[in-house]
Amino acid sequence: MKKQKRPHFQPGTPPFINAVPPRERSPQRPLPYIDHFGLSAADLRAVLGVALSSGGDFAEIFMEHRSYDLINMEEDIIKETAEAVSLGMGIRVIRGDRTGFGYTNDLSLEKVKKTALTAAAIARGKAGQTPPPPLRDRTRTWWPSRYVARRPANEAPLREKIKLVREAYAAAQRHDPCIAKVKAYYSDSLTHICVANSEGLLVRDTRPMIKLICVAISEKDGKRESGYWGGGGRVGMEYFRDGLTPREIGEQAAREAVLLLEAVDAPAGEMPIVLAPGHSGVLIHEAVGHLLEADFNRKKTSVFWNKMGKKVGSELVTIYDDPTIPASRGSYNVDDEGTPPKKTLLIDRGVVRGLLQDKLSSRLMHDAALTGHGRRQDYSHWPIPRMANTYIAAGGDAPEDIIGSVKKGFYVASLSGGQVEDSGKFTFSVSLGYLIEGGKLTAPVKQATLIGTNIDILKKIDRVGSDLAFGLQTGTCSKDGQDVPVNDGCPTLRIEKMTVGGRS
Amino acid sequence: MKARAAVPAVSLRDLAEALVTFARKCGADEAEVSVVDGYEFNVDVRKGRIETLIEAGSRSAGVRVIKDKRTACASSSDLDMATLKRLVRSAVRRAELGSPDEFAALAPLSKERVDAAALKLYDPAIAGLDSATKIALARETERAALRDKRITNSYGATFASNEIRSVLALTNGFVGEYEQTYCGLGVGLQAGDTDNRVEDSWSSSKRHFKELETPEEIARKAVERTVRQLKPRKIRTQNVPVIFEPTQTAWLMGFLFGCVTGTAVYQKSTFLAGKLGQKIGNERVTVLDDALMPGALGSHPFDSDGLPCRRTVVVEKGVLNSYLCNIYAARKLGLASTGSADGGGVGPGNFYLEPGPAAVAQKDIIAGTKKGLLLIRTLGHGLNAVTGDISRGAFGLWIEDGAIAYPVSEITISGNLGCILGSIEAVGTDLEFHSAVTGPTVKVAELTVGGE
Repeated sequence: MKKQKRPHFQPGTPPFINAVPPRERSPQRPLPYIDHFGLSAADLRAVLGVALSSGGDFAEIFMEHRSYDLINMEEDIIKETAEAVSLGMGIRVIRGDRTGFGYTNDLSLEKVKKTALTAAAIARGKAGQTPPPPLRDRTRTWWPSRYVARRPANEAPLREKIKLVREAYAAAQRHDPCIAKVKAYYSDSLTHICVANSEGLLVRDTRPMIKLICVAISEKDGKRESGYWGGGGRVGMEYFRDGLTPREIGEQAAREAVLLLEAVDAPAGEMPIVLAPGHSGVLIHEAVGHLLEADFNRKKTSVFWNKMGKKVGSELVTIYDDPTIPASRGSYNVDDEGTPPKKTLLIDRGVVRGLLQDKLSSRLMHDAALTGHGRRQDYSHWPIPRMANTYIAAGGDAPEDIIGSVKKGFYVASLSGGQVEDSGKFTFSVSLGYLIEGGKLTAPVKQATLIGTNIDILKKIDRVGSDLAFGLQTGTCSKDGQDVPVNDGCPTLRIEKMTVGGRS
Repeated sequence: MKARAAVPAVSLRDLAEALVTFARKCGADEAEVSVVDGYEFNVDVRKGRIETLIEAGSRSAGVRVIKDKRTACASSSDLDMATLKRLVRSAVRRAELGSPDEFAALAPLSKERVDAAALKLYDPAIAGLDSATKIALARETERAALRDKRITNSYGATFASNEIRSVLALTNGFVGEYEQTYCGLGVGLQAGDTDNRVEDSWSSSKRHFKELETPEEIARKAVERTVRQLKPRKIRTQNVPVIFEPTQTAWLMGFLFGCVTGTAVYQKSTFLAGKLGQKIGNERVTVLDDALMPGALGSHPFDSDGLPCRRTVVVEKGVLNSYLCNIYAARKLGLASTGSADGGGVGPGNFYLEPGPAAVAQKDIIAGTKKGLLLIRTLGHGLNAVTGDISRGAFGLWIEDGAIAYPVSEITISGNLGCILGSIEAVGTDLEFHSAVTGPTVKVAELTVGGE
């Protein structure tokens, strides 16, 4: 049985990478440029003025500088290392329910003003508004930082990172003679963002991210299978010593690949399902999280749009999205619109209680309270409501009792992803499962897809374990062509019945 | 940090060549530089009103250097020369930390050249379109769709266009450059009340503006695709013939593409590794990768190794004829490159299943099916290249006695790509190039359809 590695949440840890602006370093500078961008607060205010010149209600500048390191090991060699820099600015102008957006990676004041005019064109009116107020830097208003990086990756030498990759790779390779091929990838990034808007807000954040993953391919009697494991988050290099070691990552990938060689085809049809704690949280992400994003409700495309305050699921089900969990992949100090995020209650004992909001939806939904879930892939995209760390709260059942309660069913051990549409139909893909027979896990089961309708499944969750855990810290969520890092969590869960897409 | 000067207006070609020269000066044995300049326009219209309007231009550069058989890469969207030079210098230094790789080397300079102009990748009409026309097209598409009273909500209509100029320069003397355009128009719809919603969309995507489907045509297809799913039933789990609509054959071909790339083969991450020259499907399966079809979405003159693109018969009457390789995978496997390099990996040209002489109309395929599923949409991932296993959530139309009986939902399909290719009973005539990876209707003898 695979054990879910818990992310190392250390609420008391002093943050080392944080959003404190570097202004203390040169207090004498008369017109301080915002680091990495070469524009001053006064410049930004002027650009916001240009953005509002056609009568927009709201204008916003998002600047981003991201640097990455990437390492790719395959065929026993460090095949490639790469360094990447991404720099740019997105400018958005809102007028009523209309959004104009432009972006540029040329941050000269001249080009930036031109971009502002492009975004401004949406408003197509007279410059009615008074010039935007002076920008007030609110970077310091949150504390402590949600990033837990004692040794930031950007300060560590590449050699050290290569060593991590080699360790994961070697651990997978020597785990079992059936392992035929291994691949290991490492990436880290450091992202500086700065948001300035026509409400006078100026805010900065510096976000670290690390990811190390390993894929192992096993081979036996002409049969091939693959296993995957990984870790990371908004952490520093110490994670690979104190959190999840490269060796564990390699071994877990190999273990799954070897186990799958013996796995049987999944059964097909409706049956009771038990979900392992941890990354089974994908179910909550797909079944509930997306459909409580404010944009789908404002547009009434989500099945939840008319169910606020209504009971849609079992009383055992309470769901949150919390972008403030320290060190977690989905966390941030401030969202991509400059709003400090809040732990947001979505479902309270089966009743729909909240939406994930961004500024646009909030404005259009009678100034609904912001929750700090306005996120974007990068400067070339505009913010939309997104999840961060979504999880179902722990219940009272012992995990072994939940498994023991099922005579014949399917246990979902690890998941590779999922998808949902607004009607509530959703699927998720199981990469490794087990048959449950007589209250015990028996044969391992390979790839299967589960499908259901969200409200129906929420009603059918009839046992909730006490063992809340989070996923692998490697997850990415796609929506409207934008990818953002997320994490999900859940305790052991039982679903009375759900359709398994196996073979018969 | 000083204020930034405007990025100087050097030509992309000069920039690429200057970086190649600089990489050599820094000590690289070989170097490859690509520079891309893109312009993007996108308008979303919902319920008659503009929701978002995007207009933007951006540039980026990518560098790969090889020194003592060790490779390092860098990329940047900051085209400040000082930043680019720092990245190149550090890449050359960083190469030392990689492992020597006997297969790491640029492709030799090819004497052959594909005439980019003959591929008709660029349509000046797209550059000439004004915003008002583009907005009007999106508006008209949505309006036409909403005229149908069965449609209860709209995801909105989108018009998007791109103009892209790409340059590639290598230390072997290759310099290539071409311009391309894309435009697309589509709409997403819902039908039914909140608790019984169904949804679908249709879009047309082309390199040439005049080839784009009309707003009425797009709206009609989107409406039809949506309303045909109303009042779905659940079905029992059973094994039945499954007919893939062209939109579904497209993802099946995408999955096959991933399984025939040389990269996946040498990494053993495909069930088709070691199957070259063997029968992997029945005689109805002929698959081509053709990057030279004039005006098609997947066409291009040269690949990212600087080699000319071509037409490759990947599977011929069921026999796996060729893997698709970049120079690196080709060398690893002792094969020739197929001109398929795409960044660090392998990408398709126009990759499609050929209808062949025995192809029949979709309606005749349906008429010849006593009981089965017409697969119209899938949800979720569930594709495993290592095993060929497929398991996805599905929506379909149930077929009884050669006719469509009713829609079905909340079902799954599962099978294996190898088995599917070996049991294709019919191939349709309806091949269209709506995407670079595509195919006509196909009928598969049997898959497990999971339900109650």
